[in-house]
Amino acid sequence: MSGSRYQLDAFDHQILEVLAGDARLSNRKIAQTLGVTEGTIRGRLKRLQEENYLRFTAITALSYLGNPLLVFIGVTAEQGRVKDVAQAIAEMAGIRSVIITLGRFNIHVVGMYGSLEEVLGVANNAILALPGVRHVETSISVKQLKYDSRLAKITRPFVPSDDDED
Amino acid sequence: MAGNGIKSSRYEFDDTDRKILELLKANGRATNQKIARLLKISAATVSARIRQMEDAKAMKVVAATDFAAFGYNILIAIGVEVQGRPAEDVAKELARLPQILSINLVTGAKDIEILLAVQQFSELSDFLLNDIAAIKGVRSLSPAIAVDIVKFDFDIAPLS
Repeated sequence: MSGSRYQLDAFDHQILEVLAGDARLSNRKIAQTLGVTEGTIRGRLKRLQEENYLRFTAITALSYLGNPLLVFIGVTAEQGRVKDVAQAIAEMAGIRSVIITLGRFNIHVVGMYGSLEEVLGVANNAILALPGVRHVETSISVKQLKYDSRLAKITRPFVPSDDDED
Repeated sequence: MAGNGIKSSRYEFDDTDRKILELLKANGRATNQKIARLLKISAATVSARIRQMEDAKAMKVVAATDFAAFGYNILIAIGVEVQGRPAEDVAKELARLPQILSINLVTGAKDIEILLAVQQFSELSDFLLNDIAAIKGVRSLSPAIAVDIVKFDFDIAPLS
């Protein structure tokens, strides 16, 4: 979070709103909708992606992966080792998110697994065996009531593509 | 729901679908023409396949936006304990609050796990003293404030 990071303006938000309806709408159509040139849209989308505010990706439905178990793992670790532990967990199978936190535990982990056997392998075995880990608290989602797939934390670098638009 | 039970005609991905999906994961705005060129099929096929997969809610191309784009600088994972009321009812009321991005009913010491996003700490007083206070059955909140997000994959999600 550098202080000089680009801040979105009202026009950026208008573009995001149009894309929320259809992420694959061509630059030309977005430009027509908002009454600007195609180049303007291309430039804005490029900047939003370069600044890690925006990513275009395909989301696969959970139901098509056999409705895996969504598992929350709260990890308590020695403060001096939290970063290393978090990095190690991020590399493990099935791990979806790793967040270093201040509060009820040191690291908040979310994983997706096809069976309890796999949960055992990661939460009860692999994570607990990491140096510096003191305690692991696992809870399994029995029902998801709300989730917004359009809001995320962009942690991976942007890979530009030469011809993103028609 | 139709009267013939829940025999939802589930869409089956074939090899072409899987290849298209893989390309869209890397770049959700790759044009039909570009995908067609890479896979040596027609652009019309690409277009039709994408529509079929999206219509079947098997996949969806999204413009995923970073929390920071909306000024959400503070993320808090809160474990909620419920008392004297079905946890599902409490969770349904929590779901109406726009600051709460995700809600899961869970097993374990807590009953509900939520992810809360706010722009600044001053918003928390209104959230706690008005929004949460108005929901019956919330016994306690155990927060974990995000200080560093090491990993956040979002390419698998419920689509219904």
